[in-house]
This record gives sequence, structure tokens and C-alpha cells, in this order.
Amino acid sequence: MERFTVKAIQNMLSNKQINSAELFDLYSSRITDYDQTFNAFITNDVEPNVEYITDDKNQESPSDSALTGIPYAAKDIFCTQGIRTTCGSKMLEDFIPPYDATVIKNLKKQGAVLLGKTNMDEFAMGSSNETSYFGSVHNPWDIERTPGGSSGGSAAAVAAGLAPIALGTDTGGSIRQPAAFTGITGLKPTYGRCSRYGMVAFASSLDQAGILALSAEDTAIFLESMAGFDPLDSTSVEESVPQYSQYLEENIRGKIIGLPKEFFDGSLASPYETLIAESIDSYKKLGIVFKEISLPNIGYSVPTYYVVAPAECSSNLARYDGVRFGYRSQNIEDLDEFYRTNRQIGFGEEVKRRIITGTYVLSAGYYDAYYLKAQKVRQLINQDFERAFESVDIILGPTTQTSAFKLGEKVDDPVSMYMNDIYTISSNLAGLPAISHPIGFVEGLPYGLQLIAPHFKEHHLLSLTHQYQKVTDWHQITPKLSMSSESNN
Amino acid sequence: MAITKSDIEHLCGLSKLNLDDDEIPIYLQQMTDILEMIEQLQSADTDEIIPMAHPLDMHQRLREDTVIDTNDRDIYQKNSLNAEEGFYKVPKVIE
Repeated sequence: MERFTVKAIQNMLSNKQINSAELFDLYSSRITDYDQTFNAFITNDVEPNVEYITDDKNQESPSDSALTGIPYAAKDIFCTQGIRTTCGSKMLEDFIPPYDATVIKNLKKQGAVLLGKTNMDEFAMGSSNETSYFGSVHNPWDIERTPGGSSGGSAAAVAAGLAPIALGTDTGGSIRQPAAFTGITGLKPTYGRCSRYGMVAFASSLDQAGILALSAEDTAIFLESMAGFDPLDSTSVEESVPQYSQYLEENIRGKIIGLPKEFFDGSLASPYETLIAESIDSYKKLGIVFKEISLPNIGYSVPTYYVVAPAECSSNLARYDGVRFGYRSQNIEDLDEFYRTNRQIGFGEEVKRRIITGTYVLSAGYYDAYYLKAQKVRQLINQDFERAFESVDIILGPTTQTSAFKLGEKVDDPVSMYMNDIYTISSNLAGLPAISHPIGFVEGLPYGLQLIAPHFKEHHLLSLTHQYQKVTDWHQITPKLSMSSESNN
Repeated sequence: MAITKSDIEHLCGLSKLNLDDDEIPIYLQQMTDILEMIEQLQSADTDEIIPMAHPLDMHQRLREDTVIDTNDRDIYQKNSLNAEEGFYKVPKVIE
């Protein structure tokens, strides 16, 4: 199925090859025809945002903003006024938000048209999309495999051409890992760059909204509309938003990329190592200089994260008591039992596991040994990055250890599932922006690399990726789709 | 220190969760594995390190305490299955 980039759609609309109503119908019918196979959407019967839709090719769009008529999908973690927002959970199965998340509002203002809400791991807790109450998502490259998680629905939708671009969130790798597993480009911006208002909270010091797209160029176009200071998010940062698309062609010659020896310690299997080496060669041809660096405390990233994230999760998810919204059981007479039953039935296994872990690390007698210790180690990891960025502009590493694994392969072993995020978690702990882009295939499955930048240097990640994508075509290779259960490659 | 069945039950009480009896041994095993992984942190030298509370080292931004929201109670209460006359109904707490 032909995939159109946002850039291509903008040209098609301005050349009057298609109008915005036809475009919306095109994607809606693709979703109807193919999503039974992928399960990428939780809600797809969304009424188009008519303010920006025209069904007359010769008529100017009702409003001419930067993204007028561009369809997009949003992870079902973003509140959408009047449109059910489940966060992949039975707890919120019937929740209809009374307001829009700020990033949704920003895109609406620029004329973007929401196609639907994508599937995800429950409350964004997972790396394979298998914890969703609404069922697993299937990878368009091989439907027996995971698209990654937690933004698995967004990744699968973009990879399969069911949406030109999608929003995701990234708390420990939840945009970058699914982007790598589905052969697309995924950006997690700097912490505080995009508002968290109206984004269902998981771990508030780590959560960040971002983009899954077919190219760095599309990512830049969307990010400049989506990002920006929001007084409604107390951790949103008052920094001006660059016009990212104007940086795509910036001079990158002579930029220094650091290769952390801890990322290249021989633990990657050789086909993946070869792809990384080839992409480093492509970057060298673009004039990039490489230098070995060390991030000595990076090995502590996964244990640090699995203290900090569950601690914040146990606190954030305390709000789900079934009284004001969310799953509510009937005919229970004791208040404590009422809360406990609502939460037992409303939450899935992984969410409960994280709530219990978080409660443990915050409880009396363990706080210093676990939570405080983890916040100190988090500082060490942060200092490693600060030191590294004194001598390099960008850091490069793998996004994942392997390409997409099979559904069911790791579902019973939480620790092995947690190790999935080994390369991605450190940038969340330090609040750094990072991008994953495709660099080739291993046995028919896409694989990606990750670039990490200092705070607020998203434009360098986008220019490097864009210029790499101008000399390679990995990001343009499209999975062969079938409506049957045959495996694709 | 190893985590026990009664720890899991205590934590469920603190976090207002029920687990079925047959789930407890599964959670116990998985929590043991998770805590063993987390235990690696103890080998990091963190003497004189200030804990990191915010990725950008920012302080909480404050605003003037002015009324900004309209009263949307009725809209918000549409998401509750047991709201009545502006109240939320819950099991009886006071005799």
C-alpha cells in the first residue's frame, strides 16, 4: 500500500490532486479494511474536524493553517474532547474527556485532522503492546511479532500506511523502540518541550509526548506545531520553539558524534552491529566525525528506571478509585473493599505489578535504600551525559538489542521485558531528546539506531536524520500488507 | 532481604488492590526478580551526590492564585456512573 508523507500530502492538497475530505475518507477506509489484522486502533469512528475539511478541490480550505487537512492518529493516552480516551485500560474503557490535551489542541489549531486513537500498552506500561486491555497490536512486517510498545498502535498505523503520522509518548523508550521495530522514524523531544497537560500521567518526571513518522522532515513539520510552553503544565519549559523544518538542511559537516563504549561492548549480535557500522559509514560520508566516549554509569539505567517509574506510577494511579470516573463495581458496601475491587478489576497485571513495586520502594524503611538511592544514581547518569556533551554534539547508539520479537515471547518474564529498554531509558532519566531512525533489515525485519542530543537540540537530531534519509532509502521501504494471517516480509 | 507473601498482602493494602489467592505466588516470584534487578543500584558510589528531582534542574513554577476555571461540574460528572444532584455516591462511611 502506498504510504504518503505529510510533505507529499501537503503538495497533493496544494496542487488540488486531492481534497481534504477525500484524504480523510482514504485513510478511514484503509483503517476499516486493514486494521482487523493489525489492531492498531482502539477508536477509529471519529468524526472529522469539519472546520478544516473541504470536499471541493477548487475551493480553498476553510482555514489555511500549517497543517490544514493533514490526517493524523493519536495514541489513546491523549485526552480528546468528546472522544473516548482509554489509555489501553479497562479502567478507562468508557472515559470521555471533557477537554483536549494541549498538544491535541495545538494541532487542531493548525488544522490537523484526527483519524482515531491508537492502541497502546495499558497506561503506557510495556514494551510490546501486549498489556493493552484491547488486545495486542501486530507488526505490519510480520503479524506474529510485536510492533513494540508502548506506542505500538501508533507505530503500526504509520508503518502500514493507515495514518501518515501519529503521536506517541515516551517514558522509557515507548516511541523509539516501536519506531525501530516497524521501520519508521520516532522522536522523543526534550522533557518539557511538549505539554503534558491532558496526557494521562504514568511517570511525570519522565513522560514526554512525541512523534512517529515516515521521515525526519515530517517529524519537524509536526513538532513545530505541537511543541511549546503551556502554563497548564507546571513542568513545561518557557523556551521558544524553533522552526524545525528550516534546520533540516543546516550544515552538519564537522559535527562530532560520540560512540559510548558501553553501548558497543560486544553484546549486540553481529547482523545488528554490521547495520550500525554501515550507518556510521554513511554519516562519515556526510562529513560527521566520530569519537569514542564513555558513559560509565549507564549500566544502572534500567534498575534506576524501575525504581523511579513505578514509584511515580503508584502515586499517579492512586486517583483511579472508581468514584469520579473509571471502572466502578456495583453493590459493594464497604468503602475499602469498593476501592480495592475497582482497582483489581480495572487494572491489568503489569499495571498492578508496577503499583505494588512503586508502593514498596516508597514505603517506610525502604525509601532511602531504593527511591533516594535511585534519584542519586539518576544524577550520576545525568552527569555522565553532561560530561560527554562537553566534547561531542550528539551521541549514537542502537535503539534496541534486536529487531521485533514474537508476540508472547517475553510476556511472562517482566525483567526480560524491562531489559528491552536498555538503550533508550537513559535519555528519559536525563530528560534528553532522542530519535530513532531505520538503518536496514535483518531477516526481513527493520532495525534502527538512536541519536541523543543535549537538551533542546532536537533540530540537530532532525537535520542529521534528514540528511541521512536523503542518501539512504531504508525509511521508504514499505511492508507488504495482507488482510489474511500470512506473515509478511 | 527477601520479600514475603505477607509483604505482598501488606503492599496490596497500602495500594488499595486485591489480588486473587492464586495470583499471590506469581506476583511474589516476579517481585523477587524485579527487586533482585533493582539491587544492582547498591553498588553505585553515590556519596555526596545530590538526588535528581527534575531532569532540567528547574523549580516548581508558581502562579497567582486567581480563579481561572469556569464551573464545569456537570460535564465532569458525566463520567461517573453514580453522580446525583452534584454529589458522588459511595458506600456508606459514617453510621
